[in-house]
Amino acid sequence: MSLVNFAAREITCKIVYYGPGRSGKTTNLQYVFGRVPEARRGRMVSLATQGDRTLFFDFLPIELGTISGFQTRFQLYTVPGQSYYNATRKLVLQGADGVVFVADSQARRFDDNVESLQNLHENLLAQGVDVRTLPLVYQYNKQDLPADLVMTRAELDDALNFRGVPSFGADALHGSGVFETLKGISELVLRRLAAGGTAA
Amino acid sequence: MRCVEPWVAGPLQAFLDESSARVTLLMTSSGQVIAQDGFTRSVDVMAAAALGAAIVASTDAIAQLTGAGRYGAVLHQGTAQGLYLAPFDTRRGRWIGLVVFGPETSAGLVQLFFRDLAQALAAAEPEARPGGVLLAENFERELNASLRSLFGR
Repeated sequence: MSLVNFAAREITCKIVYYGPGRSGKTTNLQYVFGRVPEARRGRMVSLATQGDRTLFFDFLPIELGTISGFQTRFQLYTVPGQSYYNATRKLVLQGADGVVFVADSQARRFDDNVESLQNLHENLLAQGVDVRTLPLVYQYNKQDLPADLVMTRAELDDALNFRGVPSFGADALHGSGVFETLKGISELVLRRLAAGGTAA
Repeated sequence: MRCVEPWVAGPLQAFLDESSARVTLLMTSSGQVIAQDGFTRSVDVMAAAALGAAIVASTDAIAQLTGAGRYGAVLHQGTAQGLYLAPFDTRRGRWIGLVVFGPETSAGLVQLFFRDLAQALAAAEPEARPGGVLLAENFERELNASLRSLFGR
């Protein structure tokens, strides 16, 4: 849950990037890390295997700046995408203020997207979180791949985005869509906070 | 010392005075910082909170898997300094303390005074949370400007 310090006028929110293995969650954080000035981000912590697959999580704190008089910080996390790491996914998901679902646009990965989305719903439900009220956006990554390999944003919206939440096409490796996705989830999380949503 | 909620400051200062801890961090179970002392840069605090919460969460999960229920604390005794990590319950949910200490004190003393800290926090905790107007209706404009400057756009 968001942490609000009224005395110091600070807000801290937790955003979790979720999705199947190799969909580009870590790549999103790496791009943000490389793009944001050092003074406005912390060190990126990656708990990964020797093969650089996320084992527990990646973590990147960023300072958004002052919004409505509150110094606003976002803590960006990724979860391990591989299906057998569900125990750690559940732990990282605890207390999330918003979720970015990073789908792999490749047609051959469609079933993995569906499985991961179902897993997200199950894990949120197990934590007593109403999926319908949690800020959520979709990012359809790898849209830069050849057209015959990927599903279009419209096709992915039809297949996955049955709640009609904001969605963004992306090429996280080169940064396309990363900013728009972060902006999208930031707006939803802060709007919920402004409307009197959760604050620890 | 920095505290998100002012009522935490008194008990925490008493703990710092008595335990001689080098670094102390109080956080929620999801890794949000409540109070800290000894860190030099705020962002390092957040990384430590994320990792500390992860250690406690994974330790809890292992305890459940192995039928141990719940472990009280995690202690790493290094040659130059030690790390004490302990969860405790508050009316606001589960909080976690992360304490780094050197040879000027001991794991036993840190543990003893940390127990006192948890009790003092329970006694000092106010019933109601402070409230107030959080964000203006047009916060999106400021958010967009902040994100654009963040990404150099």
